[in-house]
Amino acid sequence: MKALWGEMNGRGRVVLAVAVLLLLLAPTVATRYLVSVLTLIFYFVYVGQAWNLMMGYAGQLSLGHALYVGVGGYVSAALWVHFGIGPWLGVFPAVLLAASFGAAIGWLGFRFGIEGVYFALLTIAFAEFTRIGFDHIDVVGGAGGLFIPYEEARLGEWWNLRGGQLFFYYLAFGLAAIAVLVTALLARSRLGYQWRAVREDEAAARALGIDAFRAKMKAILISSAMTAVGGVFYAFYYNSLFPAQMFEMSRSIELILGPIVGGLGTVFGPVIGAFLLTPLGEILIGVTEALGINAPGAKAVFFGLTLMVIIYLVPTGVWPWLSKTLGLTGRRS
Amino acid sequence: MASNTGFRPSRRDLLGAAAAVSATALIGAPAIVRAEAKTLKIAKLLPRSGLFAAAGQSCHRGAVVTPKVLADYGYAVELMHIDFESNVDVARTQTERAIAEGAQCVTGAFESGATLAIAQVCEQRQIPFVIDIGSAPQLTEQGYKYLVRNFQTNPMLVENGLRQIKDLMAATKVSFESAVYVHANDTFGTLSRKAMDELFPKAGMPFPLKDSIAYDPKAQDLAVEVTKIRAIDPDLVMVTSRSSDAIKLVRDMVRQRFEPKAIVSPGSPGLYDEEFYQALGPLADFHLYNLPWANPKSEMTQALAAAFKQAHPKNRFEVDCFNAGFTFEGILIAADAFKRAGTADGPTLMEAVKATNIERHVMTGGPIRFDEKGQNNDITSAVVQSRHRTPTVVLPADVAVMVPVLPMPAWQGRS
Repeated sequence: MKALWGEMNGRGRVVLAVAVLLLLLAPTVATRYLVSVLTLIFYFVYVGQAWNLMMGYAGQLSLGHALYVGVGGYVSAALWVHFGIGPWLGVFPAVLLAASFGAAIGWLGFRFGIEGVYFALLTIAFAEFTRIGFDHIDVVGGAGGLFIPYEEARLGEWWNLRGGQLFFYYLAFGLAAIAVLVTALLARSRLGYQWRAVREDEAAARALGIDAFRAKMKAILISSAMTAVGGVFYAFYYNSLFPAQMFEMSRSIELILGPIVGGLGTVFGPVIGAFLLTPLGEILIGVTEALGINAPGAKAVFFGLTLMVIIYLVPTGVWPWLSKTLGLTGRRS
Repeated sequence: MASNTGFRPSRRDLLGAAAAVSATALIGAPAIVRAEAKTLKIAKLLPRSGLFAAAGQSCHRGAVVTPKVLADYGYAVELMHIDFESNVDVARTQTERAIAEGAQCVTGAFESGATLAIAQVCEQRQIPFVIDIGSAPQLTEQGYKYLVRNFQTNPMLVENGLRQIKDLMAATKVSFESAVYVHANDTFGTLSRKAMDELFPKAGMPFPLKDSIAYDPKAQDLAVEVTKIRAIDPDLVMVTSRSSDAIKLVRDMVRQRFEPKAIVSPGSPGLYDEEFYQALGPLADFHLYNLPWANPKSEMTQALAAAFKQAHPKNRFEVDCFNAGFTFEGILIAADAFKRAGTADGPTLMEAVKATNIERHVMTGGPIRFDEKGQNNDITSAVVQSRHRTPTVVLPADVAVMVPVLPMPAWQGRS
């Protein structure tokens, strides 16, 4: 909390406190639709923040982060469906397996000097072959998908993530808040500074005595483990998992748009990104409907155009510009 | 307490006002109730953009004309057309939005993941959800109480598809000595393969299944797969495909001069899409597909076809009728339940949906009825053959408009 607090000046802290309070109270006044949109925003804050650690801080481009969402979701869901092991317990093997995938990718990439776009290709390849693999693993339903049964008797078992919209709202909020805190903490830690040094100039970082391989491995391990927890949430929120739905590259892209638009390598970038992009999509649906534009895909076109405008106007991300304009951050950030 | 405005209503004024309000309420209330109960507001969720856009658009064309056709049958519905972009997240939030904006029933949604996301919202909000297209068997096995499905499951599609092959053999007196099953390795294809592996041995087919060959639908061509099929030389090729890969499959068969007696799809699209006809011309004819189909002899189908042709002159109902027909029936089920229930109250409407018994409808099969899990088991498949680049029902005889042609004519010399 101290690390997060240190990110902002007095005005920033007031804005943050008010925003948190408003979000905590939102379900008391907001419609269920708005609550569901906010839940989705928090989910994207969480997974975006996990990706931000790896790309934003450590400078390692992963375009296959959906892999960890999928693995996390599948492991926890399969344990629940086949063995009745609840997600609070199932999250550990889920995280372990996802981190193992992360370790394998990291070891291959960092040990053999696969960098930049080639590393990104490696991450895509892993996600893709995992998708194909899951298409053929019968115990998790193969291509036909894995379904978590809707059991009315279990509704309200929050410890098994069997809750309604409100429960998932606060769960997603909690996850997002933890992700922000963890990022703030890591950003100010020794490891965070090592990541930034590696990101800016790996050779120089090595010359300074930083073990770049170890720093990057830590980044991918933490990022994959965090993302897997997001997968557990996703599985129990939607109650169905399909390989195509979980591991597709489009899912990875969806996940990284928030941090990119919000501001890479910043604590609040993924938060602002998610709060911009998810509602933007919903608003554009409403606007195209109100304008009587009955062209499917029109929303996607407007969405793309809006993204282009944002990136053109604030190429370093919205958060750095916003915090400067509103005077929310102190000198240190 | 003194009034700031200077107006202090007397007890008589208050009683008078109360009486006026009560009288207005008494007179107006039934009118309001009647107004509320006049039209059912249905959210129609479809993947009109994204991965499943082509199918979503096809369904949408059917949905657009449905209210007008239903009005002629005495049903009043208002549709909210919602595109969920082939995205599960959007499907969930848009269902919430639709219900917040007054949707009293939901139909859709073509894609199983999105369908389940919608089902959860409907269950929580106690709003009936009629699945019009969605074949994953699990959809009706999850214990949802506010969900029914008017569509065949994957195993049903394959089982009925195989049964129709036997009927086809009996009707044409053409026998098959052997068969090969070729399928795309995508979600639908893999599920169908699974169903085929389970059901073919039990179906008592009078010919052996020599091999099952999977292919990547994104491959540039299917020459290798066709070479494999050719080496086996089956009389019958059964396919589960989408239109783009079906085009590649037929083209490579023509190139390699491989001519089986029949190419039959036991329950998948691909062989009857408009792009298939346009790409292959006469080579697109005489393929067969065993699917639930719009009954050409049904009066309601004819009414839907007429409305469709008027609204979409550039599209052919015969090509769209699978998607358009099931879309229409999904809305029909909701409208019929609403008419019987006389209210849009969720639980009452759902009771009426579950008690559905519609004899007069569009797709092949018996009356629309649901079992205790919400599945309609009375949908039957027809044998449809492409004739002059038009899907034409050739079996069963009671709904057929032409007789089947088998073996299919040689590739050469077609016009």
